[in-house]
Amino acid sequence: MNIGRALAVSRRVFMDLKNDKRTMALITIAPLFAMAIFGLAFSGEIKDVHVIVVNEDLGMQTPMGQVYLSEAVISNLDPDTLDITAVDNLTSALAMIEDGEAWAVFHFPANFTNVTVLAQNQLTDARTSVNIYIDMSNINVADSIMQAFNGAVQQTISESGFELPVSMNKTAVYGQNADFMDFFVPGIMAFVVYILTTLLTLITFVGERTSGTLARLTSTPLRESEIVAGYAITFSIVGTLQALLLLTVGMLVFGVNVEGNVVLAFTVVALLAIVCQALGILLSAVTHREAQAIQLIPFIIMPGFLLSGVFWPLEALPSWLRPLSYLVPPSYAIDACRSVMLRGWGLDMVWMDIVALIAFAGVFLFLATISLKRRG
Amino acid sequence: MHAIKVEKLEKKFGEFRALDGLDLEVRKGEVYGLLGPNGAGKTTAIKVLTGLLKKTSGNAEVLGIPIPNKDIAQRIGYMPQETALYVGLTVHQNLEFFGKLFGLDRAEILTREKELLKFIDLEKWRDELVANLSGGMKHRVSLACALIHQPEVLFLDEPTVGVDPELRVSFWNYFANLKSKGITILITTHYMDEASHCDRVGFMRSGKLIAEGEPQAILKEAGTKSLEDAFLFYARRGGQ
Ligand SMILES: Nc1ncnc2c1ncn2[C@@H]1O[C@H](COP(=O)(O)OP(=O)(O)OP(=O)(O)O)[C@@H](O)[C@H]1O
Ligand SMILES: [Mg+2]
Repeated sequence: MNIGRALAVSRRVFMDLKNDKRTMALITIAPLFAMAIFGLAFSGEIKDVHVIVVNEDLGMQTPMGQVYLSEAVISNLDPDTLDITAVDNLTSALAMIEDGEAWAVFHFPANFTNVTVLAQNQLTDARTSVNIYIDMSNINVADSIMQAFNGAVQQTISESGFELPVSMNKTAVYGQNADFMDFFVPGIMAFVVYILTTLLTLITFVGERTSGTLARLTSTPLRESEIVAGYAITFSIVGTLQALLLLTVGMLVFGVNVEGNVVLAFTVVALLAIVCQALGILLSAVTHREAQAIQLIPFIIMPGFLLSGVFWPLEALPSWLRPLSYLVPPSYAIDACRSVMLRGWGLDMVWMDIVALIAFAGVFLFLATISLKRRG
Repeated sequence: MHAIKVEKLEKKFGEFRALDGLDLEVRKGEVYGLLGPNGAGKTTAIKVLTGLLKKTSGNAEVLGIPIPNKDIAQRIGYMPQETALYVGLTVHQNLEFFGKLFGLDRAEILTREKELLKFIDLEKWRDELVANLSGGMKHRVSLACALIHQPEVLFLDEPTVGVDPELRVSFWNYFANLKSKGITILITTHYMDEASHCDRVGFMRSGKLIAEGEPQAILKEAGTKSLEDAFLFYARRGGQ
């Protein structure tokens, strides 16, 4: 591996992109376009959101026996939307939100049934309520949790005839002020880099194959690994610049807030770009003409669209489809970018995503190099 | 001493033999013309020698090193038959890129570029995108890219296709000049008048060499006035 030659390749790819006004437009305008269009138009049905119930309700002695209104509410929670775990202790339940293992905690205090029943009969001035702690970093998920909870409360009211305290203590653990764009921009950053990097490398590389330049390079001292490295350098920089552009416009136009370390998020994007350029090179090996490359485009876009969690949270996928999302590299980048930019998580929390991306990069870079070594 | 030595070289595409036991020796400092009809295997031979294609069997050496071997890449120059250039880059950017691949520094690249642009008569087009050049001009740039690092052995696959007559003369003068510096040139062409500039020519047909020698000697042996007729003579004789 000769770094000078890899840099020569990198510079050449830069020049190629820079000299072509249409490509430059694609690199700069397409991300903004995607952000504007999709950002303004998305929501989805959400399933199996992991939530925790901490039920400390002591219930109330009645002629019919011990009554627990909390149990009624819990049994009315929609089991499709929510995947419920009971935990004894509020502190450890809250720790699970902090760790990203659960999206919300519903906490029923000890006096819940007692005070509710007494208040209904004007026997006390005390008030009680369900405390809800919720991770608002994914606005779609947070909304559907609240909907499921409100639904359960309404149903319990109509079944039991008790006016439940629907005024809830809602404490946002993450993303207190997050609106949809805050949630959406980190995802679209990674998504756009995935699509554009893969497509641009694929098209550039099919060009190298059809024009004969790739074959010509074989007669020079340039090695396959240096070609791949050169492309990786260029596209990781281009990807980072695209993310920077998106974030800047997101902040200026849509007032997007960022909690965490932007540099970490950009590192994730750069890593994703490296994975994607290698994927583009690999895909070019199975295409011989530009027209065939175009046929591949849906197979690049659709999995990223559906399985990466950018538009629909992974919780919105049918459970049999979910494992596939682990095979789609942007899933990890989108998760990491959101965690960093919305929850303010650091490397200690998103390292798993980063390790996954590095593993993808390693495998794809290796395969791309091998695919270039093949000759007739 | 041989710059190129090929023995019983065979290259199969599936069941088809594009090279069918090719024997070829090109001496150091020689201009060797490889002639033959379309599909004779000229390009295939060059691609095997420059490492683009894997040989099926036989032996081939370039500068005494058995190929394929990446170590000779620095010492050879290859101009493909198709104009394999980066059309999205300018003439300068193409030359610069190839220069860097061969480890030339900035100053060397600029010196070489000046000299080569003069030779291909495209000094005014230095900063034009290759996409905007005419076919013949692209060919000239492609030749310059093959020469940028002053290789010891040059493989030129139809370097003068689409090049106007005046410039073709200057090409051959330049090749003579390279030869005087001890550079070996293996060249393919369909222009028989050009072939007479070569030290030796080889006629290829169906992946084999059917005749070889100095142009004058060939004319004499075949008893013909032109190399075209000489080729037909050998082709017919080989067919018997
Ligand atoms: N990649 C390939 N796959 C299959 N067949 C091939 C391939 N490359 C070349 N051939 C065949 O090998 C034969 C020799 O081709 P080659 O290009 O070497 O001919 P050539 O002498 O250079 O012809 P021309 O004068 O037209 O350039 C042809 O019949 C061609 O169809
Ligand atoms: Mg040919």
